[in-house]
Formats: sequence, C-alpha cells, structure tokens
Amino acid sequence: MKFEKILVAASGTGADEETVKLACDLAKKSKAKVYVVYVIEVKRSLPLDAVIESEVQKAEQVLTRAEDIASDRDYEVMTGLIQAREAGPAIIDEAVERGVGLILMGVTYKKRFGAFSLGRAIPYVLEEAPCHVILFREPTP
Amino acid sequence: MKVIIMGCGRVGAQLASLLDAEKHNITVLDVDAHSFRRLPPAFGGTALLGDGTDEEMLKKAGVEGADAFVAVTQGDNRNVMAAQMAKHMFNVPKVICRIYDPLRKDIYEALGLEAISPTTVFAQLLKEKLLAM
Amino acid sequence: MYIIIVGGGSVGYYLSKALIDEGHEVLMVEKNATKCDRFEDELGSVCLTGDGCEVAVLAEAGAARADVFIAATNEDEDNLVACQVAKHKFEVSRTIARVNNPKNGEIFKKLGIDCPISVTNLILEHIEEEIPTHALIHLLTMSEEKTEIVEVRIGERSTAVGKSVKELTLHPDSILVLLMRNGQKPQVPTKDTILQAGDRIIALTPIDNEGVLRKELAGS
Repeated sequence: MKFEKILVAASGTGADEETVKLACDLAKKSKAKVYVVYVIEVKRSLPLDAVIESEVQKAEQVLTRAEDIASDRDYEVMTGLIQAREAGPAIIDEAVERGVGLILMGVTYKKRFGAFSLGRAIPYVLEEAPCHVILFREPTP
Repeated sequence: MKVIIMGCGRVGAQLASLLDAEKHNITVLDVDAHSFRRLPPAFGGTALLGDGTDEEMLKKAGVEGADAFVAVTQGDNRNVMAAQMAKHMFNVPKVICRIYDPLRKDIYEALGLEAISPTTVFAQLLKEKLLAM
Repeated sequence: MYIIIVGGGSVGYYLSKALIDEGHEVLMVEKNATKCDRFEDELGSVCLTGDGCEVAVLAEAGAARADVFIAATNEDEDNLVACQVAKHKFEVSRTIARVNNPKNGEIFKKLGIDCPISVTNLILEHIEEEIPTHALIHLLTMSEEKTEIVEVRIGERSTAVGKSVKELTLHPDSILVLLMRNGQKPQVPTKDTILQAGDRIIALTPIDNEGVLRKELAGS
C-alpha cells in the first residue's frame, strides 16, 4: 500500500507507540507525510475554545512522545492539537482537510462494564472515513 | 376536607379510598376511564374523566373550593404543571405532587411546592431496613 | 450566543438550522437517539441524546452558560418544566416555550416563562383578521418595555370611522405609528388624520391595553 499522506489519531494510551511506529514504516516506502493529531474533547459546559490546562499538558506529552518515537525510527512527523466536542467527527474533518489516504488508530484492550468496547470515536471513524483506515489493537493483557 | 386527586393509578386510587373512608369529599381526575376500576365499589366520591392540566377541567373538578390538591399521575411534568396551577392560579391551600426525579423535586420545593420523590423515600427506606439487620 | 433547543421535531430542527446559519452555537436535546444521529450527520456535533427536563442532561448540555433556552417539544408540560429547570437551576436569562394549547400561554407567563409562543394563536389571528370582530394582529412583543406592536383594522361599524386621531380615546402610552390605506402609500398618521373603514393601523400599545385599542379602533 502506498500513501502520500497518513493521519495518526493518537489516543493517549499505550497503543500510540506501535501505531506511530507502524505509520512511519508505511510512510517510508513512499516518503509519505505523517500527521499525528490528538483531540481534546471539550464538554459542553465549556465553550469550545476553552483552555483546559490538564488536558493541554496531557496532549503535549502525547504528541512529544509521538515525535520521539518517530525520530527513533528516523522519520519526521508533524503534530497537531485539536479541540472538538467529539473526537470522531474531528478526526474525519482533519483527514478530509489534509487529503490523507490513510487514517491509523490504536486501541488498547479495554473492557467497559465487563464488555469489550471500542468507545465512540473508533466506530465513527471506521464508518465515516472516505479513505483507508487501519485499526491497531494491542494484545489482551 | 375537599380534596382533588389527579391521577387514578395505584397510589391515587388508594389515597382516594383511604380519604373517602374517613368521610372526606373526594374528586378523582384521570384521562383514562379504565383507571377508575381501581376505586373501591363503595367509593362515595366523584370520578371525573379529564386532564388536570386543563384549567376548565380543574374548575369542573371543583378546584376553586378545594382544600387540597394532590397530583399523582405517572408523568412528573404533568404533576408539576397541575400543582403549580392549583397553587398559583387557584390558591388551593394544600398542594402536594409526586415527582419521581429527586433533582427536579428539589427545584420545585425551592419554588414553594410540596413535592415527594418516591425514589428518594423508598431508597432511604430500603437503606434503613438493610442497615438495621 | 449559545442557544439550547429541547425537542428535535420540525420546529426544533428548522430553528437550529437557522440559528447555526446565523453563526450561533446551538445544541439540540432530543430523546430519540436515531433522530439525534441524523441531525449530527447533517449539522455536525449539535445534538445531545437525552430528556431536556432532567437536571443531569441539562448540566451535560452546558445549560449554565446558555444565553437562550428554547423548549419546542410537542408537550406543553414538558416545555414548561424544561424552561423552569433552565431558569431556576441554571439561571438561563431568556427562556422561550412553545405552547401548543393556546390557553397555556397565560398560565406559562404567570409561572415565570419569559416568552411563551403559541403558533395556534398566531395562525388564528391571521385567519380572524378577515373577520371584522377580531381585527387585531400581534406583530411583536417587546417584553422588557411591556409594549406590543399590533396591527388593527378599522371595521365598518367602528366608532373610529370618520374620526380624527385626536378625537380617539386612547391610552396615553399608545402610539399610532403607521396608517395603511388601500391605493395609497403607507403614511404616518397625524392627530388630524381622519380614519376610514378598512384602514389598517400599526400601533404601539402597553401590553395590557390591547382590548381597549381593539374596541376603539376595530369596533368590536
């Protein structure tokens, strides 16, 4: 598979590590541009452009880590922080705006209320993305 | 006492029956005639088919001379609307309504309405029973 | 402005679209998840699934920072309660309730709803304007000034026919703003303007005074 542009939607979980590595490996072949974005979901009790210190700090850590992982792989990625009400639509919008050929997402093996759950953003992106999507799931703990 | 009860469900019907047995003047309102089957055969009060959130219906039920108004339909919002009408438009001295949602009950209590949340009451009762063991 | 609309029926939907087009931040609150999804597909992240009468749902909706709260469901009692929760729990400054049963308009005002709107009444007035006995249409209510702008048609049998404006018995705070007569351009009536049957007057009047105005001009 050859892509010109790849979007990695960082989840802030341990799955990001392998996801970013995978993005770099796929990108190398065609010297594709890789964008890593992290979406802060802003609750409706706050205006959309509200600055939530703890979230911004976490986002910066996640994105810096992504840059480090990429440079260990001898690759350069661009990072971006997005604030939105819901992550799913924000990721799709970003992908469309940048014209990416692939969206990469990572998910840890998580059980919510005793049942395996993908959350909300992942099913949304899988359904709505106009381009290729690769979902990377970590092994069971 | 002249009491109007809105809602002839289990609670409304039982309340009507208890008060009627003590010789109070009871009128029960409900939008479904079938619900009146819950009233005892010897019920001495009046059963009226109608909507307690309708001004005309309330007047027909005698709200203007009523001593008390109780709203116990299945719908929190209808109970609250009728209770407010009874209290603020018709100045019924004693108005009580059931509001299942504890948070909404707090709001309406703050607005001067006497409201009971079966949710809170029952949870409290269960807790006492459990902890008394 | 941040505007919350409870009720995803046609009124809620078209209101949302119009307000979004004007650049406001809008959130619809609708119980039916499928409807919600459809709105989100079309308009973006603008719909919350939930009961707009519940405190927890309105808290999630950010009601505390809303500038306007509109209850537009099909049930008057739900609209009443939603607005009351918004006002008393979240201190939203402007609450607007759709009123389906025209009788509830007055009741809602008494119970503290800033702006009850009855579509039935609006339509009735437009139908009845053709009948001389009910010749007054509400155009605009300016609640802060406690004033209404109304349109009144001078009926055939009105005592105002043939009188000049200064001869009318009007509330001191009523102002006759515009006179529209068939075949003529609209004009601002002066105190000497003589009124004719069929004239339509746009007037400013204190909210409680419309009965008097109607009697004086329309002649019912």
